[in-house]
Amino acid sequence: MVNYGGDEVSALVVDIGSSSIRAGYAGDDTPKAIVPTSYGYVKETPSTTEDVTMSDTTEGEESKLASRPRVKLYIGQNGPSLWRENMEVNNPMQNGLIANFDPVNALVSHALKDVMRCDPSEHPILVTEPAWNTQENRERMAEIMFEEFQVPAFYIANTGVLNAFAAGKGSALVIDIGQSTASVTPVVDGFVLRKGLQYSSLPQFVMAHARHLLATPAARRQGISLVPQQLIASKEPVEAGQPPKFTLRQDRVDKTTVSWRKWAEEREVEEWMQSVAGVIDQGYNEQFAHQRGPKHYEFPTGYNYYFNGIERHVVGEQFFHHSRQLVETNPNIPKNLPALITQSLAACDPDLRQVLMGNVVLSGGGSQFPGLADRLNVELTRTFPHVKIHAPGNPIERRYGGWLGGSILASLGTFHQLWISKEEWQEHGRPIVNQRCK
Amino acid sequence: MASGVGVNPQCLSAYQELKLGKKTKYIVFGLSPDNTEVIVLKSSSSQDYDEFLADLPETECRWAVYDFEFEKEGGAGKRNKLTFFSWAPDDSKIKQKMLFASSKDALRRSLVGIAAEVQGTAYDEVAYESVLDKVSRGA
Repeated sequence: MVNYGGDEVSALVVDIGSSSIRAGYAGDDTPKAIVPTSYGYVKETPSTTEDVTMSDTTEGEESKLASRPRVKLYIGQNGPSLWRENMEVNNPMQNGLIANFDPVNALVSHALKDVMRCDPSEHPILVTEPAWNTQENRERMAEIMFEEFQVPAFYIANTGVLNAFAAGKGSALVIDIGQSTASVTPVVDGFVLRKGLQYSSLPQFVMAHARHLLATPAARRQGISLVPQQLIASKEPVEAGQPPKFTLRQDRVDKTTVSWRKWAEEREVEEWMQSVAGVIDQGYNEQFAHQRGPKHYEFPTGYNYYFNGIERHVVGEQFFHHSRQLVETNPNIPKNLPALITQSLAACDPDLRQVLMGNVVLSGGGSQFPGLADRLNVELTRTFPHVKIHAPGNPIERRYGGWLGGSILASLGTFHQLWISKEEWQEHGRPIVNQRCK
Repeated sequence: MASGVGVNPQCLSAYQELKLGKKTKYIVFGLSPDNTEVIVLKSSSSQDYDEFLADLPETECRWAVYDFEFEKEGGAGKRNKLTFFSWAPDDSKIKQKMLFASSKDALRRSLVGIAAEVQGTAYDEVAYESVLDKVSRGA
């Protein structure tokens, strides 16, 4: 019999998010491989095959792909971020779910084989999924792991529950703010209350808002050009607020694809948000915002400016409040955080609400926006008497909470009996995934 | 989702004693050193609530069952409620939090007749008044 409690399972944990894929050994406190989920690809004429190609997916995939032109994938740290002629950029995730499985193989394989340098056929593997994952999707994931990577055992765990457990709570309201999706998941006794589950593409909206803000000329500055550094040949230092002096790499501009340009510009906006933007913790007020003072930021073009408190905080405010004007002109506006939380709680039993509000767990990279946790506390205490937000101070714990929970779970000797083994997969097939992983 | 941690039969017998014998006031549960099963750490008959709180360490997770006794409002007499505590302080190690949170279900399911549940991460959540408030509701 297996030596329980030996904690020597040497399992792998893979957490797939829309900004990055986190992979590592169970029992570690940080993922070993953090690979961007966005990938670059170049359509090419059939002859050159050197790098990872799409064709090394399953056999069924190959016949389908034969009719399409061959594509060469560029994955990892040197994937989309290096400029290449005619390279398009894509992301397999949509609303936090895997929408396109074709590149997932290559991405996971890159993380496990190229970055971690391990052989997945020798390790049990635990994969995470968002609470709204479909049955079809999780079965597909199991299939890829067993058939493609030949893993000896597999388990799929819910990120909401993992986050709650990693905070030591069986029941909690998990607020997860990622790069593309913000979600509120009520977890009760280790199970997700599906009817209370709420999510929206709020972070994407915040980003679009920031981008619009930068591109639009303001009272004392021009609209800012977000040309990424890869397209800039040279630049000269300029005074703050003065038009930038830079020359474009003309040889590259014509061969740049729209999707790459969009991806690169979004990265510029993201970087700006991470360095400069914030949330006013006491509730938004122009005067408060102004008192926060300006912060200096320089773009790749050399353009630099002191962004005042209002510009810096109006962006973060989008997480909590949309102006009426914005709501009127944009009917499909994603729900903001207070709306997500209220609707989630409204669907829960009144007796549970107090327990959930006393155990709010904040997770995800987007939750590290300066001031966000404090503001959330202010917003929630206004409506609920006993609010307690658990927000890990350690940024790794916060960003990779789901991965970390999975890492601990998969490292337990006693967890061994719960894995779906290869033999079980071969005997029962797809239905076993839903039976075992609840 | 569970951790697969088992429950030592000793836990059940201690619980039965508390439930039926009416002598024990509270039991504190924890995990065995190799993290494979739930064991009884302490079984006490002390009536002092503060003594019970002292048995919930500042940086370690525990479970406990407390035979909570209170006066029903309006002179309706005394009531007893078996209360289950999940104690996971913020300062405990993340691995322990994960272990205790994922193993709680195994223990909780084997204890029949629990009337109330308290999840605590700080002492104010397990203080006498807040537990009383929770327990006396719907009594």
